[in-house]
Amino acid sequence: MEYIPLNFPFLAAALLAGISFYIIIFRKNLIKLIMGVGMMSSGVNLFLVALGYRAGGNVPIYTDVPEGPMVLSVPQALTLTSIVINVAVLALMLSMVINVYRHTGSLDSEKSRKMKG
Amino acid sequence: MTFILESGYAFWNPLIWIIVFLVVMIVVYFFRRRGQKKYKKDTDQAQIFLCGEEVPEAGERHIRVGNIYWGFFETLKEYYNQILRPHTGIVNDYVLWFVAATAVSAIILLIAGLAK
Amino acid sequence: MATLITHSPILIIAIPLVTAFLTPLIGMANRKVRDALVIVSLAFVVVLVFALARDVVINGIRVYTLGATSPDLTIPTGFMVPVRIILEVDGMSIFMGIIWSIVSLAAAIFSLSHIASETGQNRFYTLLLLMVAGGFGMMFTGDLFNLFVFLEIASISGAALIAFRIKFADTQEGGFKYIVISAIASLMVLFAIGLLYAQYNLLNIGAIAQVIQYTTLDKIALALLLIAFTMKAGMVPLHLWFPDAYSVAPASITGMLVITSHACMYAAFRVCFTLYGSMLDAPVAGWILIVFGLLSMFIGVTMAVFQKDVMRFMSYHAISQLGYMWVGVGVGLAVLGNAEFIAAYGRDAMSGGIFHILNHAMYKPLLFFTGGALFHCTGTRDLTKMGGLAHKMKWTTILYIIGTLSISGIPPLNGFSSKILIYESVYQFHPILTITGIITSILTLASFTKAFHSAFMGAELPEYKEVKEVPRSMVIAMVILAAGIVFITLFPSLVVDWTIHPAADALIDQEAYITAVMGAIP
Repeated sequence: MEYIPLNFPFLAAALLAGISFYIIIFRKNLIKLIMGVGMMSSGVNLFLVALGYRAGGNVPIYTDVPEGPMVLSVPQALTLTSIVINVAVLALMLSMVINVYRHTGSLDSEKSRKMKG
Repeated sequence: MTFILESGYAFWNPLIWIIVFLVVMIVVYFFRRRGQKKYKKDTDQAQIFLCGEEVPEAGERHIRVGNIYWGFFETLKEYYNQILRPHTGIVNDYVLWFVAATAVSAIILLIAGLAK
Repeated sequence: MATLITHSPILIIAIPLVTAFLTPLIGMANRKVRDALVIVSLAFVVVLVFALARDVVINGIRVYTLGATSPDLTIPTGFMVPVRIILEVDGMSIFMGIIWSIVSLAAAIFSLSHIASETGQNRFYTLLLLMVAGGFGMMFTGDLFNLFVFLEIASISGAALIAFRIKFADTQEGGFKYIVISAIASLMVLFAIGLLYAQYNLLNIGAIAQVIQYTTLDKIALALLLIAFTMKAGMVPLHLWFPDAYSVAPASITGMLVITSHACMYAAFRVCFTLYGSMLDAPVAGWILIVFGLLSMFIGVTMAVFQKDVMRFMSYHAISQLGYMWVGVGVGLAVLGNAEFIAAYGRDAMSGGIFHILNHAMYKPLLFFTGGALFHCTGTRDLTKMGGLAHKMKWTTILYIIGTLSISGIPPLNGFSSKILIYESVYQFHPILTITGIITSILTLASFTKAFHSAFMGAELPEYKEVKEVPRSMVIAMVILAAGIVFITLFPSLVVDWTIHPAADALIDQEAYITAVMGAIP
């Protein structure tokens, strides 16, 4: 396969974000909610990487550049940073859910809540 | 003068208020000094007088937070019923509000851009 | 000294960051040394911030390019645009920095005895210092992606601190809600940054501001950035997580979290005024801010009257006070680009809004600290169980009264001086804004009187016979903030001339911000 149709990665990113918003809003299970956040971060990361993609471009690691365009390196750096941050966020969320389950015995966002109003 | 704050239409000087406050304090102190001093401590004279009735214990005498502003909440009952409805405490709903607010403001900005 | 000031933008961020990772090492050896290290490093940061503030007010915007041979070399030789991370400190950033440094120092002092009975204190201070570094980063950065990174640092450490006392169920719930909201908001910020990067291939705020076109994608990015920061700031109707998270955190952390809300508010202002600036459809964006502000003021305060949990009650008040700032600055934004209106009332409205940030940053942490002191002594946050505590806690009572009078805008305290600036200028824009503000102020006083009566007044209750005044370090932390209130009360014009007007002008003057990075336009 020579190159990816131009808008395909963006559509995939939008789809991922849309699905994850659906999960976060309508699924009451806290673990599923965390999965939704994880999917959303994947969507945003895919969007960032797709921004820097050039059809047939070189990998941006050479000092002596071969002929042809080069894939943008900044979005890849951004994506790496974002992935690392999101790992931390997801780990923190999961550890809090463990504690929520210990205290309330429930993973349902409606049944485990103590505060309202 | 460093004390004066110009607000654009009027000025504002905290010193005047502090002087007024001090004058009021002096007046209050003056009235307080005129109070009765020759009462007998540790007798019934130092107790609370409630028409000769038995005075309740400290815990029962204190007006708790739930009873304050009863009339205010009674009058605004309908408002509070409405306003408490979105405060569900469910995290999913919070995100729904975010999505709704983003969509609404994006649409407003886009329409305003088209109108130009 | 000059070298120190040249490097101070990065030092202010780096010192808490380095100390954060030193504290667990030193804490393993000796607790006293660790506490001293935390306090001394934060105090040093306060000194640096004030030195930098003086420099910024006198010499104008200071830029710091990371990794360059010289800190003011923003655009590397041979390039047209900045490629390195640039810290950019102007009047508004340093204004937020002053607030953040004072409050974080007070919070650290308050924590010394507030969490003395908890386990894992080393980690507590690590997270606290990380949050300080994240907050400073958000305020000083001139780079959009860097803003996202520091936003995440502040949110992650904030969430971990909210959930710090894992023995209570509600802290876990509050921390979880906070991290979910933060994660989604910051992902949307990142998405918006991606949208901007896709069009302009730039990440620096000043560089984007120079070339921004306000296309359809830019409008969507604006909506995403604005609403994400609005939610992180906690404005009605996106405030629902705010009392849940802030009421359960340790009181010192709650005081700091209020300032991270202000930092997100600052980011929203930065996006509107500096990033979009003259290209922005200013009246529409201004009205969006004003509507959020009005809703927050009124709904926040009416919800607060209703509360029975002391910290929750103060959290709702924080929401309603944030509304004043949005209304004040929103009016300034709505008339941006119209020099006549800006001179007539726009600048005064913005000064009022920004002045209110400073005042709120002094009295709201103070009130949260008194709430924490009540919790420390009685072991409950429930106002229905309290009463007659003024007999035992004299310092706390006096400081609570100072905070109450200040937040309700009773002359001569500082809350009044910023509110009068807002009322008088905003009235010219639309009278309904002033009317809502005054009603909110009245309800604020009413609800604080209610809380004061139920917690402090009345006869001594038998269950609190053994209660003593809170430990000395907690009193010192509260007195620091109360001293700030008294200072602002006595010298309002000094404060306004030296910090508030430079901050308001920095927001209005987009050109200067761009020139500081891109150089003078040929």
